[in-house]
Amino acid sequence: MNPITKLLPLIQLGFFIKIGFLTADLLFIVFLAIALRQVFSMNKIVDESNSSSFIKTAAILLLVIGISLFLTALVIL
Amino acid sequence: MPDIFIAEPKGEVVPKETKTTFEERAISKQKLFSDEESLPESRNPVHLFSAFKKNPDGVTFRDQEKNEKILLFIRRSFITNIKWILIGLLLAILPLFLPLFLKSLQASLLFLPIKFYLMLGIFYYLFVATFWYINFVTWYFNIDLVTDKRIVDINFSNLVYKDIATTELSFVHDVSFSQVGAIRTFFDYGTVLIQVPGATDAFIFESSPQPENAVQILDSLIRKKNEPDN
Repeated sequence: MNPITKLLPLIQLGFFIKIGFLTADLLFIVFLAIALRQVFSMNKIVDESNSSSFIKTAAILLLVIGISLFLTALVIL
Repeated sequence: MPDIFIAEPKGEVVPKETKTTFEERAISKQKLFSDEESLPESRNPVHLFSAFKKNPDGVTFRDQEKNEKILLFIRRSFITNIKWILIGLLLAILPLFLPLFLKSLQASLLFLPIKFYLMLGIFYYLFVATFWYINFVTWYFNIDLVTDKRIVDINFSNLVYKDIATTELSFVHDVSFSQVGAIRTFFDYGTVLIQVPGATDAFIFESSPQPENAVQILDSLIRKKNEPDN
């Protein structure tokens, strides 16, 4: 049996995993963007000057990690 | 003969002295009051994990009037977060036991390149971090405020639900609290119920720390507000 034919299901599986992963990550980024929007919106309603920056920074950080992961997966997978 | 005592003419110095004394007193009194006003109040800074603060410092809310002071800041007791913290910890350590689990099943997942597992691992931990973050933010933005004019109840849950209710202190009919169960008694938290006539729902401070204290403060505020002078 040709080794390429042997590897084909595995390559196809890898492709589907890549697509699945990218879709999931993209949905996750959308979710994080909503979270960020809501955090900023709630911060306008009630503002705690001592800790609001921490909450905002954490939301931005999660979103940045999500986007970085998506871009990395797009390139290396 | 030398004069031993010469009486000062009456009606000139004494009234002047008295006048000066009154003026001085008035000035000193004015100064005292102005000093009292300028003295910093015992404000308590609110930090990230604060759940109960009297005279909180650094907190403002939308529609707050210029001369409106926040007297009480309440979040749910921090102990109520223990459930999601433990679930998050469990989720965080779960992948460490995955090889053992697969070994017991005599199965292997290593049929894909290592980069797939690396990406899945990072994604998984991003998910866990987000789980923690969302739960924390839900707790963080569930705030109840008592000002010298009104009560503000801010509810926030699941990122998509927010509800803000306010009522004037003079409208409050009754304030009570309930503290049921051993855990609530041990950690001193309970539900504060504020009844407002005409409102469809009563104002509820869920899992408020020191509920007895909160009710006492609210009660004294309402009494002050309902006094005839106010």
